[in-house]
Amino acid sequence: MKLSVEICGVKFGNPVIAASGTCGFGREYNELYDISTVGGVSTKGLTLEPRSGNPVPRIAEGKSVILNAVGLQNPGVEEFIKNDLAWLRSKTRVVANVAGRTLEDYEGICARLDGLVDMIELNISCPNVRAGGMALGIKPENVEEVTRLCKGALAKTPLVVKLSPNVESIAVNAQAAEKGGADCISLINTLTGMVIDIERRRPVLANNTGGVSGAGIMPVALRMVYEAAHAVSIPVIGMGGITCGKDVVAFMMAGARAVQVGTANFTDAYAIPRIVRETEEWLSAHGISDVNEIVNTLRLN
Amino acid sequence: MKELLATVKENRQIAEGIMAITLALPESVGKIKGGQFANLSVGDSAFPLKRPLGVCSVNGNDVTLCYQLKGDGTRKIAQAEAGDKLSVLLPLGNGFDLGNAKKVAVIGGGVGVFPLAAVVEEYAGKVQFYSYIGFRGRQYACLTEVFGNVGELTVVTDDGSLGAKGNAVQAFADDLGKISPDLIISCGPPVMLRALRSALKDNGVTAKCLVSLEERMGCGIGACLVCACKKSDGRNARVCKDGPVFDINEVEL
Repeated sequence: MKLSVEICGVKFGNPVIAASGTCGFGREYNELYDISTVGGVSTKGLTLEPRSGNPVPRIAEGKSVILNAVGLQNPGVEEFIKNDLAWLRSKTRVVANVAGRTLEDYEGICARLDGLVDMIELNISCPNVRAGGMALGIKPENVEEVTRLCKGALAKTPLVVKLSPNVESIAVNAQAAEKGGADCISLINTLTGMVIDIERRRPVLANNTGGVSGAGIMPVALRMVYEAAHAVSIPVIGMGGITCGKDVVAFMMAGARAVQVGTANFTDAYAIPRIVRETEEWLSAHGISDVNEIVNTLRLN
Repeated sequence: MKELLATVKENRQIAEGIMAITLALPESVGKIKGGQFANLSVGDSAFPLKRPLGVCSVNGNDVTLCYQLKGDGTRKIAQAEAGDKLSVLLPLGNGFDLGNAKKVAVIGGGVGVFPLAAVVEEYAGKVQFYSYIGFRGRQYACLTEVFGNVGELTVVTDDGSLGAKGNAVQAFADDLGKISPDLIISCGPPVMLRALRSALKDNGVTAKCLVSLEERMGCGIGACLVCACKKSDGRNARVCKDGPVFDINEVEL
């Protein structure tokens, strides 16, 4: 059985990558299972300077979904490079998820990580000065601009642009990333939502709103992955609500070359190794010997 | 630390709105320290988050967790019956380390008594405990016998329906001259912990005080940075991994 996938020249042992923000830098889950069994780890969102994040509560639950508003708490890129990078690279593929407040922040952090990690994934869903406090990921012209700038700062490491679903057209934004020079796109980032404590008449999250993820968003994510994958010629990494091997198969049929798993790690601490195993089982049961064979095999009605 | 599919042995109400669930673990998870917690699955995919619940008691591979019926998730857990299977991740967090303390004051408020019960059971006979436990009223009182069995116990209630009318911090402060503890451990609502910090300061108590904090959590193992608390040096700590037990002077309450 061949489970390995190659994206932008980077070979992943299997197509299941831990999604940013749910797995830290891999150390904690490595206490539960060998983290080298995951295809890769997309790191906790990194910024040039350390960030302390939002007030608590930072997490809430809806039906089959969760909401988070952590606010990019992270130790800063230098601490990551010093303390975690070599260890994590010795275990698995490292996708550095990066964010910033200004365009210069994005450019700077990409330049700093160039050649040090396997891929760089731009989080363009956080509020940005350039977009007047709105996320850079909303308007296609902003997506293209930040992508072009980051691509210009990278000589060695492939650039993944992580698309926000809170947009007018996912296909147009996918094309904007491609036009800006992205080597790959990943989607979907979380949908913006709210949960209300009706007894207190207040939102549960201190931040009032947060990013919705988990099984409940999967149909939306699948549709968007399908649309984006058919709008661009660069590879696509799909995510949004994956909890089992069959979900991986669905995302790959819709056009994803690899997937990311986030919220499921909270429901089942061993989610990723289980999902890898289940994917393999589904392929075997269907007489398929190479996971790459199912990519983009969806036939519309 | 492991995630296991545990079998529910018993799930019963121990006070109004308070339940105790005993889980039979299929294998050992190693030593579980008092003050550590477990992340318990609700057992329904509509609830993606596990519930972080304090370990109240450990007996071989049987673990009892206590919880307050608070929302839909805990109400769902309350429906679990003997024989049902629930996934549980444990043991989590640092727990209370009593070190070489000989005389320990225990101050618990409401559902904060759960982790403290496991501590006094763990150190029973090795340490002299002086427990001050407060509840809103008699109907909410639980686990008092655990504290009574291992040392001196003072129970108070907000309405005076059980023990004296008052709060646990005040009852402890009134006894300070008599007991002179070399360690204080506490768990309860933030308002209680703040009152405790003030009481220690006002009475010039220099003994170390350890408190267990509560926060909404994601992963429970320190990866997701959801359950942050502020250290007094301004840095963040993870309640689930660096805590939930902190020195009272080390964290913002």
